[in-house]
Amino acid sequence: MSSALPSGVFFQSHAAERALLRTRPQRLWLAGLLIVLVALPWAANDYLLGVLTLAGVTLVAVLGLQITVGMAGQLNLGQSAFVGVGAFVAAALAAKGFSLWLCIPAAALASGAVSIVFGLPAVRIKGFYLALTTIAAQIMFPIVVIRLPDSWFGGTAGLPVDPPLVFGFAADTPRAIYWLVLVVVCVAFVAALNLGRSRIGRAFRAMHDNDIASSVIGVDLARTKILAFFAGALFAGVSGALYAYYVRYVSTEQFTLWLSVWYVGMLIVGGLHKPLGAVLGVLAITALHEGVHVIGSVALARLSGITNVSGGTVFALTNVVLGGVIVLMLLFEPLGLAHRWALLKAAYRIWPYPRG
Amino acid sequence: MTRQPWGITRRGLVAVALLGGLAAGAQAQQRYTVSVSLDYTGPFANVMDSWWAGQQTVFDWWNETRGKALGMQLDIKTHDLRYDTSVVARTWPTILSQDKPIVFLGMGTPDLVSLMKRLPADKVPMIMGTAMVGPLWTPDGWHFSYRPTYSQEFAGLFDYLQKRLPEKRALRIGTVSTQGLAGYVDQVNGVVALAKTYPERFAVVSSQWVDNQPVTVTSQIREMAKERPDVVLVGTNTAQVVATVKALKELGLKTPIVTSSHNGLNEAAKAVPIADLEGSYSVFAFAPYNDPSVKVAEIFKKYNKGKGTWGITSAQTAGQALLAVAAIERAAAKVGVGNLSGQAIHDALLAGPFPADAFQGLIPAMALTKAAPFPTENLAVKAMTVKGGQLVAVSAEWMPVPALAKW
Repeated sequence: MSSALPSGVFFQSHAAERALLRTRPQRLWLAGLLIVLVALPWAANDYLLGVLTLAGVTLVAVLGLQITVGMAGQLNLGQSAFVGVGAFVAAALAAKGFSLWLCIPAAALASGAVSIVFGLPAVRIKGFYLALTTIAAQIMFPIVVIRLPDSWFGGTAGLPVDPPLVFGFAADTPRAIYWLVLVVVCVAFVAALNLGRSRIGRAFRAMHDNDIASSVIGVDLARTKILAFFAGALFAGVSGALYAYYVRYVSTEQFTLWLSVWYVGMLIVGGLHKPLGAVLGVLAITALHEGVHVIGSVALARLSGITNVSGGTVFALTNVVLGGVIVLMLLFEPLGLAHRWALLKAAYRIWPYPRG
Repeated sequence: MTRQPWGITRRGLVAVALLGGLAAGAQAQQRYTVSVSLDYTGPFANVMDSWWAGQQTVFDWWNETRGKALGMQLDIKTHDLRYDTSVVARTWPTILSQDKPIVFLGMGTPDLVSLMKRLPADKVPMIMGTAMVGPLWTPDGWHFSYRPTYSQEFAGLFDYLQKRLPEKRALRIGTVSTQGLAGYVDQVNGVVALAKTYPERFAVVSSQWVDNQPVTVTSQIREMAKERPDVVLVGTNTAQVVATVKALKELGLKTPIVTSSHNGLNEAAKAVPIADLEGSYSVFAFAPYNDPSVKVAEIFKKYNKGKGTWGITSAQTAGQALLAVAAIERAAAKVGVGNLSGQAIHDALLAGPFPADAFQGLIPAMALTKAAPFPTENLAVKAMTVKGGQLVAVSAEWMPVPALAKW
């Protein structure tokens, strides 16, 4: 929205200029994309649907991270723990017979509430020190969940989850859970976009750019920092609930520090400063991850008997490649794929003649 | 020489009849699919050659011998599920629709976590080769293992060691494990439950919680040493075993370590001199691979086509495959070769004790019930130890496991 429009495109009202979709071509492109996404289950196999479903679940968590880190500038290396809180709360409520419509918001609120505890130090500290407190959340999460009474979150056993009922139908097929996740992803993306355009979003940005200066112009830093964690964790909670419904079992081992680091990696690759960065980062890293495994597996099969290269090499290579991509992105495109996308879009709009 | 049309036709007819006969013969061989979870590109890829070889050799042997006699052929479909919960979850629908398996061989926790809830609805039983954990001790599951919980396996060795103490007292057990990892915490909980059940025989004198992949555990072992444990239980991973071995050496202690199969003496000996493991143990609910009574070793030798070698890993997965084919045979006897299904295999698994003969000396007689996804009664284990720098069996006989209620 922030990129300049070509000459000849103008608006006759403030509302038209403020709209998320400002021109007809934008609306057409979006409609086309949505049609493709909705129709995809008829063309894709179950495995691809599974990959996209999990990418969607991850995207919701990374959108939350984009708010806390990219928008508000508060380092968070514990997003996976907040996802875990959401997953356990949703699983516990689902086990008691509550519907999807209650479990997902409750999971979001629970994650948000927990995040306040770990967001409080942000009032006094920042940077690496703040990152350490969020790592503390990550370390404490499994220990606390396991030690709580088994009747709450299953203790060491974890919790099984039944497929959710959506308008009376069990979402127990890859197609159904894909559509459910798609709807939530769309809502989360629009929410993240709108948050950035709201009063609190502008306060986040002001604080991100210069916290002292923002406090001079009236931003309540303590409140805004806590809100940044709360908003990011709301998304994490929703992601956790979706994960619980998708995998149908939650245990503490599923929400690791490693996962939190990957969320940050995805955001760096995609671009910290826009929700679109979260989308592009998740898609790029997911594609890369799958690509390395597919290529590695094919190479292993071809090289079998010729070399002693084992599958362990592919596993190690996956992490090396993904780590290398993050380093390269930081070196050559620190603003992420979202910036590259904005440049491409600008080039498209003026070539060979201006379009909307 | 003239060719008579009728002659050609006759030869053609004979050929068609022969082909038809062959085709009929092929059709008589009833085919079923067994799907297998493997990890060729994940964290356990380095042991996968031996892991798969253990299963592949048993299935090849069975197809060529008993399967042929029954008129059955098992098609084995392997899937690289990367030991990753989300990969298992997203691949399972494809496995179901494409393979239509009558049984699924799982690898570990990711398979259990992702599929436990789905299997009853999908009507596919899953057989594991790893030991189980207390939290999985729930009724009416469709996931099974021939091995009980890790804690029960350890209890079998503790029972053996306690009976051989020079004086009549409780065996003093120290534990090393990691907080925050549910399976690891449960191993300790199970052993604590054992000590509470038999306080005159077992005592957990110290529980040390360490990092999952520790650099050193010397300070924790020094603390534990004050309680003079007879054994140190490290059932978690090889890194913790190695760190414990080094700590004991640094402190000049000769306390034996008790490990499981996945983190056992073979694995630890790759990182520390085997002399440092002298007197330590690996315990599991199958016979050591070098036990002369293990006939499946000959099957492995004859049918192994890949790079896998015979050892703890391949023995463990051979046991998994042996339970699968034993259940398939039993189901075929019950419902007929042409009517096998996941439900039939599930019912066969629960239809009473399997005799030891079915397992080629690798597993003792065992019975599965609806009460738990693993055998809970008449349990027995075997163990290995390092003696004079060699890995040897602790006992030629199966060591009984003391009864232990769910904790």
